[in-house]
Amino acid sequence: MHNEHIQEHFNNRNVTELDSNYYMVDIAPYPTDGWGKFQRVIKRAFRGELFVGLWVVLREMIKFDTHTVQYPAEKMPIGPRYRAVHEMKRLWESDTERCIGCGLCEKICISNCIRIDTKLDENSRKEVSEYSINLGRCIFCGYCAEVCPELAITHGGEYENASDQREHFVMYEDMLTPLDKMKAGTQLEFEGFGAITPHEDERVKKTPLAY
Amino acid sequence: MNKIINFTIDGIQVQAQKGETILTVARKNGIYIPTMCYISKTSPCASCRMCVVEANGVDGFVLSCNTPPTEGIEITTNNDALQNERVNIMKLYDVNHPLECGVCDKSGECDLQNKTLEFSVERQNFSARDQLREIKHWGLIDYEPSLCIMCEKCVHVCNEVIGDDAIEVKFGGYSSTIIPKNSEMLDCTFCGECIAVCPVGALTSSGFRYRANAWELERVPATCAHCSAGCPLEYETRHSAINGADEIFRVKNNFEFTSLCGAGRFGFDFDNKQSSEANSFELALKAIENAKAIRFSSIITNEEAHILQLLKEKLGIKLFNEDARLFGEFMKSYGSLSGKLHHSGSLDAIKHSDAAIVIGSRIATDNPGVRYALTTASKHNGAKIVYAHPMEDVLMQNVITQMMKYEVGTEEGVMALLAYEILKDADLTESERAFFDDLDLGYIYAETNIGEEELSYMSKSFTRAKKRVLIIGNDLIAHERAGNIAMLAALIEKYSDFSLVVVPREANTLGVSLINTLERDENIENVVGYNAKGDFVISSLGSADLAIPALNQQEGTVVSIDNRVLPTNVALHFSGYTLNDLAKALGVHKDETTHYTQELRREAGFKGIAFDDLENFLSPLGEDNRGYLLDEVALEANGELEELDDLPEFNGTIIYQCDPVLQFNNYTLKAEQLPKDNFLHGSAQFSVAARISDGDMVEISFAKTKIQRKFKLDSELKGTVALNPTFDISVDAGRYRFEKSKIVRVM
Repeated sequence: MHNEHIQEHFNNRNVTELDSNYYMVDIAPYPTDGWGKFQRVIKRAFRGELFVGLWVVLREMIKFDTHTVQYPAEKMPIGPRYRAVHEMKRLWESDTERCIGCGLCEKICISNCIRIDTKLDENSRKEVSEYSINLGRCIFCGYCAEVCPELAITHGGEYENASDQREHFVMYEDMLTPLDKMKAGTQLEFEGFGAITPHEDERVKKTPLAY
Repeated sequence: MNKIINFTIDGIQVQAQKGETILTVARKNGIYIPTMCYISKTSPCASCRMCVVEANGVDGFVLSCNTPPTEGIEITTNNDALQNERVNIMKLYDVNHPLECGVCDKSGECDLQNKTLEFSVERQNFSARDQLREIKHWGLIDYEPSLCIMCEKCVHVCNEVIGDDAIEVKFGGYSSTIIPKNSEMLDCTFCGECIAVCPVGALTSSGFRYRANAWELERVPATCAHCSAGCPLEYETRHSAINGADEIFRVKNNFEFTSLCGAGRFGFDFDNKQSSEANSFELALKAIENAKAIRFSSIITNEEAHILQLLKEKLGIKLFNEDARLFGEFMKSYGSLSGKLHHSGSLDAIKHSDAAIVIGSRIATDNPGVRYALTTASKHNGAKIVYAHPMEDVLMQNVITQMMKYEVGTEEGVMALLAYEILKDADLTESERAFFDDLDLGYIYAETNIGEEELSYMSKSFTRAKKRVLIIGNDLIAHERAGNIAMLAALIEKYSDFSLVVVPREANTLGVSLINTLERDENIENVVGYNAKGDFVISSLGSADLAIPALNQQEGTVVSIDNRVLPTNVALHFSGYTLNDLAKALGVHKDETTHYTQELRREAGFKGIAFDDLENFLSPLGEDNRGYLLDEVALEANGELEELDDLPEFNGTIIYQCDPVLQFNNYTLKAEQLPKDNFLHGSAQFSVAARISDGDMVEISFAKTKIQRKFKLDSELKGTVALNPTFDISVDAGRYRFEKSKIVRVM
């Protein structure tokens, strides 16, 4: 197999095994008779548990060491496999668009939110003339990125796509890596399923070109 | 005679008829032999060598596509040696084949892709120095030599089936290519059959190129709406742009067994895009209620024709359709002598014939289906083809063996001569024999300009023929003496081994003539036009008072030249009213138009099969399973031949109403890709006689019509008759197509 580098580690979640990290929580029995219940009410009312909670809040306030993320000023980093608004990549060698207009993303899309139109351009090449994704319909399943034979369409990390109407679209130009970003060499490669595997060059077979 | 050969393929006992090859027998018996260049409707190209098999007692491999079996031979279709041979062939095909499957138009339906995967070619051990091969743009057709695998299918169909003979192989080993024959640019009728048969993406439609992929398109099986050949085709639809409605992207056909002309293949965008005003439905209802007559064209379905007939009966109005009326009357006269309603021939009969007479039609442009059948007969059976017409046709030159040129208007005399010659020794009744005895042959020879020796030459060339066909065109149907001509045709069919094909002019002329009771078109007021002229126009041609769906937007049936009732389906959605909606509001009630399919006239041969029960496919062996054949209807044979009338003379400037290649009617005019050659075409002789020269704007007046056209000097034409296209004007389809006219130059 060529993908032995992919190793996944799972936690041992088997409760019955001795070496698992699970243990039973010790819970005192609940009162069943009236007297017992009365005792529990008195105990809870006068133990001052309320102040325990208030103390925790006060303590944290004074320490100024909060875990709250100050969104939108502050954002959590997201994983490379996170599936948010799509991106259209360019080729590293030539900066041209990777998309060849095969239409497979449109075909596979289960929520039917991708529309593509292609034509013959003036250089006799296939050109994507129009491309849109209806983000209101998209369920971010990732099939389009998975089926793409050119690794052209990927999911990016841009998840802020709230809008004031149910239908809203993202167009080809918006998704395409800007040229300045490309020139600066900062196009991010998709590291999820379907991405180029490491050591790809070594696996390529040579065709015999005798000349 | 019909010797049967017994032999075995892979241990299975099989039988072959005389003339069959190992491959055809294997296919018949469901035994798979892979091929790359084989195509059923042509003779074997034998260029791919994929079909190799082993035969015991024979050294080396045998090509199964062109080898007939011998008695008792044992054939092996697959073993290690054969597999190895085939894998090597596939590898050779794959040498330097550009890896552009992702964008290639053929990807997903490519023979090379399929076979490369089938033989799991995953490694290449052959190589060749690649060379620059430039893409050629040939109008509607693009040729990309680097993708070409030199299977030669295109050359074979062009030569053997279509008859254009426009392309050939330029041999040169690895640098072989396909080139236009005897010309720099491709000069042909642009049927696009080469695109259809190309197993890879080498020959493509320039209008479709890179617009969509095979897996994106939805296929709708239908019947071509442009002429009466009723060719099967598939409309392929997809959304247009990113938020447009559906659109037909291209047309494909089952090229293994059927052919399609360019109008069928490239003229698909004739759908009606007009939407009607809100009140137009009410206006249409009122117009029909108050109408004296409905005038309609034959480019409608049988169901529409049936509804019109029901409306006629309900409202007591007249129906006008000159084209179908004349066809119906021709067939009525024919029936009065033959005792049956339908002609006996079909396109298949023409294909299998070895002798044919075509009379009264410029058949290559009137009905390309018949032309292709004639080409097939000529190339495969060596058929002798007599072409009788006042004008030569360059398109038929390769196919015909005898040109019988007669004078304009003398069709009755020509038919009488043909019948006289063919039925010389026939066992005629007394009155029929008397008709021939009374013929003033000298007068007819002189007036028709057909010599006795031409007829005897024809008879001589037909002597060895076994399957003969007489093909009758519109010039005879629309002739003043059509009744007598029809009876002469019936006589030939009855007393000789000729089968008869009468070519209907429009897509459903035959169906309409069987369904409707038509009256002679009078120029009266208050006529509703249905796809035709009228005071209130209900039409699918655009700019109508009420828009209705065109033939690719509705389901229904049409009757083809084969007397076959063919179903057609909805390729594109139409939002608007149909004739059935009007009929419902007028009290002729059925939920759907297609509910009328089973109610079509039984007396005319319709079978009463519901629309949804009609099949629409060709079997893997090419048997036609589309719709059904009309039942034969027996008629009373009480017709008597009339004495020959004086043959008319046409002098002065004569025009012939004839559409150019790829054009048939106002629908093909709407198709964007089809060339719209609307010049008046005339020979040098004509231009001298009419005192006009190339490029002149002329005014042509015939009957009550006056039109202006540019004149084009056509070096391919001879004689004093000019060709006037009708697809861009509406000429009454029932007229005799030769017409005396006045032509003046306008500034």
